[in-house]
Amino acid sequence: MTRPVMYALVALWTPAIAALALAALVPLRKKGWPAAAVAIFSSLVSLGSAIALFMDRLHDEVPQQLVAPWIHAGSTVVAEVGVRVDGISASMLVVVTLVATCVQVFSVGYMHDEPPAAYGRYFTLHALFLFSMNTLVIAPNILQLFAGWELVGVTSYLLIGFYFKKPSAARAAVKAFWVTKFADMGLLFGLLVLFAATGNFGWDAKLSHGVATAVTLLFFLAVVGKSAQFPLHVWLPDAMEGPTPVSALLHAATMVAAGVFLVVRTNPLFAQAPATRMVMLGLGAATALFAALLALVQTDIKKTLAYSTCSQLGYMVAALGAGSMLGGFFHLTTHAFFKALLFLAAGSAIHAVHSNEITDMGGLAKKMPITASAFIVGSLALAGVPGLSGFFSKDLVLEAVEGQLSNVPYAALMLTAFLTAFYMGKVVFVAFFGKPSNEKAAHAHESGLSMSGPLMVLMVPTVVAGYFGATFAHVQGEHYHFHFGTGPAVASSLGLAGIVLAYFVYGRGPRTEQPAAVALVDRIAKTRLVNRVYEYGFHNVTLVVASGLAFVDRYVVDGLINLLGYGAIEAGRKARPIQSGFAPDYVLAVVLGVVGLAVWAVFGSWR
Amino acid sequence: MNPALLTFQKLWPALAAGTVGAFVPRRSSRVERLGIALAAAACVLFVTMLWPDAVATEPASTLSNAERFPHLLSWLVFIPIVGGALMLFAPRQATKTVQWLTLGIMGAELVATLFLFKLTPTEGKYWIEESTPWIETFGIRYHIALDGFSYWLIVLTSVLTPIATYVSFGSIKTRLKDFCIAFLFLQGAMVGSLVALDLFLFYVMWELMLVPMYILIGVFGSTDRVRAAIKFFLFTMAGSMLMLAAILFVVLKYKALTGEMSWDLNDLQRLNFPLTTQRWLFWGFAIAFLIKVPMFPVHTWLPDAHTNAPTGGSIILAAVMLKLGCYGYIRFAMGLFPHAAHVYGATLAGVAVVGGILYGALCAMKQNDVKRLVAYSSVSHLGYVMLGIFSRNPASMEGAVLQMVNHGISTGALFLLVGVVYDRRHTRDLAEFGGLAKVMPWYAAVFLVVTFSSIGLPGTNGFVGEWLIMSGAVLSKGTLGQWGRSQAMGAALGVILGAVYMLTVAQKMFFGPLDNPKNRKLPDLTRREGIALAPLVVLIFVIGLFPRIFTEPMHVTIEPWIRDFNARVEVPPVELATVAPKPAAPTPTPVPAPAQGGE
Repeated sequence: MTRPVMYALVALWTPAIAALALAALVPLRKKGWPAAAVAIFSSLVSLGSAIALFMDRLHDEVPQQLVAPWIHAGSTVVAEVGVRVDGISASMLVVVTLVATCVQVFSVGYMHDEPPAAYGRYFTLHALFLFSMNTLVIAPNILQLFAGWELVGVTSYLLIGFYFKKPSAARAAVKAFWVTKFADMGLLFGLLVLFAATGNFGWDAKLSHGVATAVTLLFFLAVVGKSAQFPLHVWLPDAMEGPTPVSALLHAATMVAAGVFLVVRTNPLFAQAPATRMVMLGLGAATALFAALLALVQTDIKKTLAYSTCSQLGYMVAALGAGSMLGGFFHLTTHAFFKALLFLAAGSAIHAVHSNEITDMGGLAKKMPITASAFIVGSLALAGVPGLSGFFSKDLVLEAVEGQLSNVPYAALMLTAFLTAFYMGKVVFVAFFGKPSNEKAAHAHESGLSMSGPLMVLMVPTVVAGYFGATFAHVQGEHYHFHFGTGPAVASSLGLAGIVLAYFVYGRGPRTEQPAAVALVDRIAKTRLVNRVYEYGFHNVTLVVASGLAFVDRYVVDGLINLLGYGAIEAGRKARPIQSGFAPDYVLAVVLGVVGLAVWAVFGSWR
Repeated sequence: MNPALLTFQKLWPALAAGTVGAFVPRRSSRVERLGIALAAAACVLFVTMLWPDAVATEPASTLSNAERFPHLLSWLVFIPIVGGALMLFAPRQATKTVQWLTLGIMGAELVATLFLFKLTPTEGKYWIEESTPWIETFGIRYHIALDGFSYWLIVLTSVLTPIATYVSFGSIKTRLKDFCIAFLFLQGAMVGSLVALDLFLFYVMWELMLVPMYILIGVFGSTDRVRAAIKFFLFTMAGSMLMLAAILFVVLKYKALTGEMSWDLNDLQRLNFPLTTQRWLFWGFAIAFLIKVPMFPVHTWLPDAHTNAPTGGSIILAAVMLKLGCYGYIRFAMGLFPHAAHVYGATLAGVAVVGGILYGALCAMKQNDVKRLVAYSSVSHLGYVMLGIFSRNPASMEGAVLQMVNHGISTGALFLLVGVVYDRRHTRDLAEFGGLAKVMPWYAAVFLVVTFSSIGLPGTNGFVGEWLIMSGAVLSKGTLGQWGRSQAMGAALGVILGAVYMLTVAQKMFFGPLDNPKNRKLPDLTRREGIALAPLVVLIFVIGLFPRIFTEPMHVTIEPWIRDFNARVEVPPVELATVAPKPAAPTPTPVPAPAQGGE
């Protein structure tokens, strides 16, 4: 076992051991705070080994892996599990463990008011999530990736439904699970097609054109579900029912990015399917624009951020569709940092005012300087202001998309950049500036160190990650130089224009009515058209078919069988009068029988 | 090295697990700590001892299995049956005595089962066999044997019957002795059917199984029990009659061709029938087995039987009895009539996917009665097993046998869990529940684990079985024809539908506000229920994480079996019935034929 492999195993197993210990040792979990300590300790160890692994990758580019057989059939191995160490997994591992550690530390303060048992359950699930996510990230083949993929889906289900007494949370949890599970069907089918074609689950197979397109399109269905792309994005805004740190970790930084990571990981397969890439480019750009429009009209701070996540994931998908693996992956990384920062800052604000609505906040910048500066730095990075991390990665995406499909996606992404800056400006001006809108906002105060600490930590990569583009690219075995051309100039000026416009619209005192364009989007958004299509599909198609079949089963299939039994009983009833009980009748029968036998004896022997 | 130290070195994982187990429980009862410690140590010991590499390093014994463990199989069959007969003399009023005696007999059976782990698997042959004349006038022999198909099913029977019985003691208050005797006979008959190779013996055991189950449903069941019991009996009986007719035809044909009578599977397998005859005979057997599985459209007895059976009866019915249909199909329907089984395999696989997996799942979605829902989910899950059998390649067959065990564990646990709330509330209507996670946290946690196992989450047993079956089916162009891949995809679709109906149950029962006042004071799992569930939950993860332990013993049987079967199918069917000459060795060795492979 080489050293990098050992680092990877440590990063994988520490959270697993923590989760197992917390699940099995009931007193530890029920007590609450020991669970937090164990989970955070395991995340720190995991983070440490992830960083060590990344450092190692800076010098050594040869991928290493260690696999063990898992499922056998006959003498052949059907499935293997293990770890694979290369640039992609090492980078992603650092992102996942760093954000997870910050979020867990943040949760210590944020979840403080929960009863100890729920507190313990929360951290147990966090440890389980980190294990699942690491399983996915360092998978040596797509089957293990799929296993991790399903496991993160389950932990997401359990964490969204953390406040299970709230019916809306329970519904959101199930909705998220069903939508992503429906999409997972694509991954499952794709794996089966891949297995039928190659006999294994590796991602470096040479496939025929048709098979490659089929496999990658099926995989892309799973990506659409997990990474909340149109039209399967509906679960992500609902998933905000979970605790805010969970939204930060799962539904912004890591789990939803797993879809994008799948494409990055299986890039050799996607490279063989140009048709799939075109679909990705189109759908990614469309999602980016569509979700940005929806983000514009949200008043719930978490929902704004959720749609913003959809939109940014659209950027990544579009970059991957344009063939820039590095662009998609780099934007994933920077987005993980600044979006986690935004969510945690939002969580800090929500914790202070006990409401998700931005209209219930206002003037928080003076009361909560760290939270406000974190949120503002995150917003600026997201808006693509030059010098911050989001600027560099967004620029890489735009550069890749430029000139493809007669520049339609490029234009859509440019427009999205403007909208992004505008809606983030709106949130910042309404929630953090102006006058406090109510008593709670007026008496808000900065959160404790456990909450402000992670914010400060996450601010660092949000600001500086962009300057490590070359290092990041080097680890992936690619090259990257930044050059300030027209694309970045246009994008960043659009971003600045969005912020300025937001200031003129929202920054100067409270507004009673929306601008006309926003009001129009609002009215369209209120129809919930996509959601209603699914609700119709589930309630009026699937469930109707199901109840039809249940009826058929009970009354037709079973009815026929029962009819058979009924027929037998009726036949018996009809035959009953023969047994009349009168001696003469029986004597008659005996006589008839004797006569019959006699006739047979005489005439039957002729044959 | 010091032998004591060496033993310690071998045993330390188990000792460590035991130590951890002793410190886990919150309640301070010593007995409980000891029990959990023993259970944990036993689990770890099980994994370490059965780990394939560990087994391989043991020096192979020069003695054959039969010499090392004489009459092991007979012990397995007759411990419960003789025990049940002796129980007739137990005092009816002394309920504790009756309970402990029953559990003691089942414990003895479990201990006897442990010896199965010591057997050396023999490639392509029965691992251990017993054969003595029984009714010589008719050539009937007492011929029992064990191989990779029946191995885990017997273990499953021995593990689940005590669990089902033990948990039933919490709810069965009247006629306890009758209940125990029925269970013991049932267990003996199930093991008997799993080992019988003589068709007469098999038929006797197969029918013997019905009687105790009829009593369990008809006497100890809920409201509509009598009708359900009759329906169950008539359905199975109708199939059995067809099978009996087919058995008689085959036996008489054998006598006509060879001049001697034999009911032995090995002898009868030498018969070659023309395809038309094979078709009729195949359906005679297949219908009997497919009713038991159950497959569409003869599955309708199952929801009724499950809804009305007592908890213990449901567990055994779902966990073991249904598997006997699958097992019988492999051993007898496929074993005796390979050509017909090959001809109909692809069509039946279509029925298994559309009529079983998808139809069962859709029906399950709209059930309000939890037990009915689980019954339909059984129809869906058994569809996977049958698809694996029809696909007939190593991956899918092993997946099918593993999935039989998996279904036994997960669905057994589900029925047990449904029984838990039924005991408390005397209703199984989903609408009556909601928010139970607050009052019954342990119950909710276990239910969720079992649910995830049932929908095939990676890391649990369901994933491994379903995955093996689907990856086998996708490669089985040779057996399923051009539709093979579509059928694998249909099976994959069933996984999603499974998530829909099972999570609906979880949501309706456990989440949301606790608004039904009757549910406010429900007690959580009792100690009895916890003890009964613990092994099932552990097995869910053990199979899911270390499937190799379970598939390894199957290889030696299943791969040669498929080779042998394919070789027999490749020979074109005869015009007139003939009989192949007897092989020289007493036990027939399979003809080594070039592997046909999946594609």
